[in-house]
Parts: sequence; structure tokens; C-alpha cells
Amino acid sequence: SLQPLKAKPVPKSSGASQRKPREPEIASSLIKGIFRHYAKMPVSRDAFRVVEKCSERYFKQLSNDLEAYSRHAGRKTVEMADLELLMRRQGLVTDKMPMNVLIEHYFPMEYRKLLIPVAVCGNKVIPSK
Amino acid sequence: GGTPRMKRLAPRSTLRKIIKKHKPELRLAANADLLVRMRGRQVHLSFLLFLHRLAEEARTKAFENRSKIIKPEHIIAAAKVI
Repeated sequence: SLQPLKAKPVPKSSGASQRKPREPEIASSLIKGIFRHYAKMPVSRDAFRVVEKCSERYFKQLSNDLEAYSRHAGRKTVEMADLELLMRRQGLVTDKMPMNVLIEHYFPMEYRKLLIPVAVCGNKVIPSK
Repeated sequence: GGTPRMKRLAPRSTLRKIIKKHKPELRLAANADLLVRMRGRQVHLSFLLFLHRLAEEARTKAFENRSKIIKPEHIIAAAKVI
């Protein structure tokens, strides 16, 4: 005979939403967009897949390194200094390119929307403010 | 305006979630949120620089191979260098 249907278990945490937990990751469309912007030439579909794989590996490595650095400093929190050390080891931060210069270089650009130029309809020129 | 949306997004950065996935015990200090807004979404500066570098290396590899398109092998070769 049929077993009576069991009631669905009530979610334990009252605050938790019913949404299915999704794997935290950077949206592939975002990765694609950034990569395409810097590549400045066509990128094959398979190549994008490899870029995504590389990105996953990058974050795994990043987590490992940040844990090692903060643990070494006797902390459980990743501080700015850990990130700077990481970026120094990655060769992104150097004596010639200190962290604050990097930030200045990337952040004002972001505000001016130069990093990903916005497509404008027609040939209207939007005057700069 | 998109300000409320930004506010909502700010404390829930993907980097936090990704680090939590790999290292549940590890916390990220507020000042470590070096986020850049790209295409309406937030990216961590270090990741942006990583992609920048990967793309430039892959482009160089494609040029070396006289290819007009970046192929998987160019990415793999680039990833080994950076």
C-alpha cells in the first residue's frame, strides 16, 4: 500500500528564505564582458569556458592564500594588508605600482565609466559634465 | 536612481560568498572590499586585474600563433604565465 505522504520538513531557520542556495560565483556574463573588453579581439566560445575555469581556480587559490596570510598574522579576518600582500605576490602591486596608485587608476575610471564604454544610440555625443 | 540597489548589493559581495564557500571560518574586513562596479555589478579589484592580465597574455599568445581569435589553448598558455 502507499505510504502516507510525509509533511515537508519545516525550514529550521526562521530567517532563511526558501530560495535554493546557489553556488556563489561571479556571473559568467560579467566575466565574459570584462575579458572581452581587455582582450580587444574575438574570443572563441570554448576559450570563454576556460576563462571561467581559470576564474574558479583563481578564487579557490585566493581563499587559500588569504587564509594563510591572516592566520599567519593571528587573525580570523582578512584585512586590507592581507589583500595587499596577495596582490604584491601576484605581481599586481609593486614598488612602482603601489596599492593606492592601482586603486586610483582603476576607481576613477570606474566612475567615469571608461572601463566599459557605454554604447550610445546613433551618433549623439553626450557632453561631459 | 540606482542608489538603493547599490546599497542593497554592497554588503553582499560575491567575493564574501566565494570566500565563505571555500573558507567558512574566514571573515573579510570591511576595508578589504575593494570593489569596482563593472557593467552594473561589483567585481573585486584583484579579480579585475587578474582578468585584465589573463586577457592581455592570451592576446599575446594569439598574436604569436598568428590567430585572429583567442582560442582555449591561448588561455591555457596565458594562465601558466600569470
